[in-house]
Amino acid sequence: MSHLVLGYPTLQESIATAEQYIAAGYEILELQIPFSHPTADGPVITQACRDAVEKGNITVEDCLGALAGIREKYPDQEIIVMTYLNRIFAFGLERFCLEMEALGIQHIIVPDLPVDSPQAHTILAQKVQLVPVLAANVHPERLDKLLGMGFDFFYLMSDFKITGSTFSLHPRLQEVIERIKTANPLARVGIGFGISTAEQVRLVTTHADYAIIGSTLIKAKMEGRLAEVMADLAV
Amino acid sequence: MNGGGYFGRYGGCYVPEVLIPALEQMAQGFEEIKSDPVFLEEFYTTLREINGRPTAFTPLPRISEKLGGARLFMKNEGLNHTGAHKINHCIGQALLAKRLGKKRIIAETGAGQHGYASAAVCARLGLDCTVYMGRKDYERQRPNVYWMELLGAKVVAVDDGSQTLNDAVIAAFKDWVANPESFYLLGSAVGPHPFPAMNTFFQKIVGEEIREQCLTETGKLPDYCLACVGGGSNAMGIFYDFLDEQSVQLIGVEAGGRGMQPGEHASKVQRGVEGIFEGYHSYFLQDGTGNIAGTHSVSAGLDYCGVSPILAYLADEKRIQFESASDEEALAAVQMVAREEGFILALESAHAFAHAFKLAPQCSPDEVIVINASGRGEKDLFITMRHFQEESLLTYAQYLLK
Repeated sequence: MSHLVLGYPTLQESIATAEQYIAAGYEILELQIPFSHPTADGPVITQACRDAVEKGNITVEDCLGALAGIREKYPDQEIIVMTYLNRIFAFGLERFCLEMEALGIQHIIVPDLPVDSPQAHTILAQKVQLVPVLAANVHPERLDKLLGMGFDFFYLMSDFKITGSTFSLHPRLQEVIERIKTANPLARVGIGFGISTAEQVRLVTTHADYAIIGSTLIKAKMEGRLAEVMADLAV
Repeated sequence: MNGGGYFGRYGGCYVPEVLIPALEQMAQGFEEIKSDPVFLEEFYTTLREINGRPTAFTPLPRISEKLGGARLFMKNEGLNHTGAHKINHCIGQALLAKRLGKKRIIAETGAGQHGYASAAVCARLGLDCTVYMGRKDYERQRPNVYWMELLGAKVVAVDDGSQTLNDAVIAAFKDWVANPESFYLLGSAVGPHPFPAMNTFFQKIVGEEIREQCLTETGKLPDYCLACVGGGSNAMGIFYDFLDEQSVQLIGVEAGGRGMQPGEHASKVQRGVEGIFEGYHSYFLQDGTGNIAGTHSVSAGLDYCGVSPILAYLADEKRIQFESASDEEALAAVQMVAREEGFILALESAHAFAHAFKLAPQCSPDEVIVINASGRGEKDLFITMRHFQEESLLTYAQYLLK
């Protein structure tokens, strides 16, 4: 599963990168709608978001246009949209969900939206599903509550850090994954934050369904080494 | 407040799931200490021992006479240790952190007052302290950086974004995500639950003291209470005890900066729109498409994009009126209070005074206006000196370089 920021460095180039990811066989594309202040992201994604917003004036509408283009060309590609709450709150939560549905997008990641808040209820009343972003410190009761709410895709932070940090895998994650899989064998689990080598991808996918690669690819794009890094990451 | 830290629809706890255990632990701790006589005794004793509370309730007779109209008083929170009201909630939060067994404190700071107070309290309680500060604030409030470091805190200059308070808050949150066992000692009545309610609880002593002092001095409650509004901690401090007193008019004064164009001010309630950011639902300055907009104020402490969800709710309910004062008006107020009354105000607090000086002449002589002097102005030495005596500042800088 691979991540990029829509509109970075330009909308057209981000669409081309998405196509590069698809060609490389990444099963899921995680496409981020840029926000001026991405509070959970590290320096690489923050810079990409800031450039997209400040230099490119990228709006939610621009991103929806890009998504529609990708969807038209790749009708069966699984896409997850990621953004921060204020961006879609300003756009209109219901309206955003309907746009996602129309684009055939089944999951969205909103890291600063607790899944039991009033705004999450608005989203959950629609067809699109939220992906809870959890870490190793999630209390078992809290996890059981989320499992009871019927989520079928979980994003786990590899460790206590922001995106793009040095990789480590918290020992308690295995327990979290087991609890998820026991409650719902069909639920899918991805692990992200800091994954930058093929070896780490292999390690992560022995525990989870997906390794999520973000900052490493975006940094490679910034440095003009995307094809090379993607080849290094192939497993 | 209804459940989960909501004030009407404002407030809430909009944070990544990784922080929820820490915030739940904090919220539970806060619920316990609110009615724990042992904790409260320690809190009030510390406020007395460190800050010499109650702080003075000072008449401003010369300005009152000059302006005509209402009698003006100031609540001098600048007399607190470290120079501002901020230390009230720092003491409260740090004592809670101790009680929860925390060893490391994270804080953000704008003007440096909250960071300075956090560093002092952490030194006293033996807690490790890391303070995040936007690069622009780090440069313009350099004396406070020095004090924090002298007190043993680690001060981190944040180079992201506009390099002001907002970016410091985000950097502090990122540190907390990486270190969820630390205690985030947040510096205003903003952020996710329980911060807005908790900092209001620790600051409400300001209004409680005013009630008693004003009755003693004037035989009545204030007709008006005024406070500057950045995030809202000093405003909630003075306002909270009077919320149910309909005769007391409450006025929050926001930073009007250089004008009402986007990016030139920090008037959130008057010019912001509803949003959800940095953990809470409130009014934020935004660009119209859901991005957070830039802010400006001559006072670092008001130079912030959001406002307390409690104030947003009370603004909608029309319980608190919001006005603004410009950079120039604030600077003029600093000069006037210095010359006429002998006090050097913090630039933040001067915004409230600037509005009070417009209001007073419209009032009758039996009316009482109380202004929260939330901080003293020594920290602004290089900003106000540049404005009032640039030549002397440059001469002094050259002398230091010799």
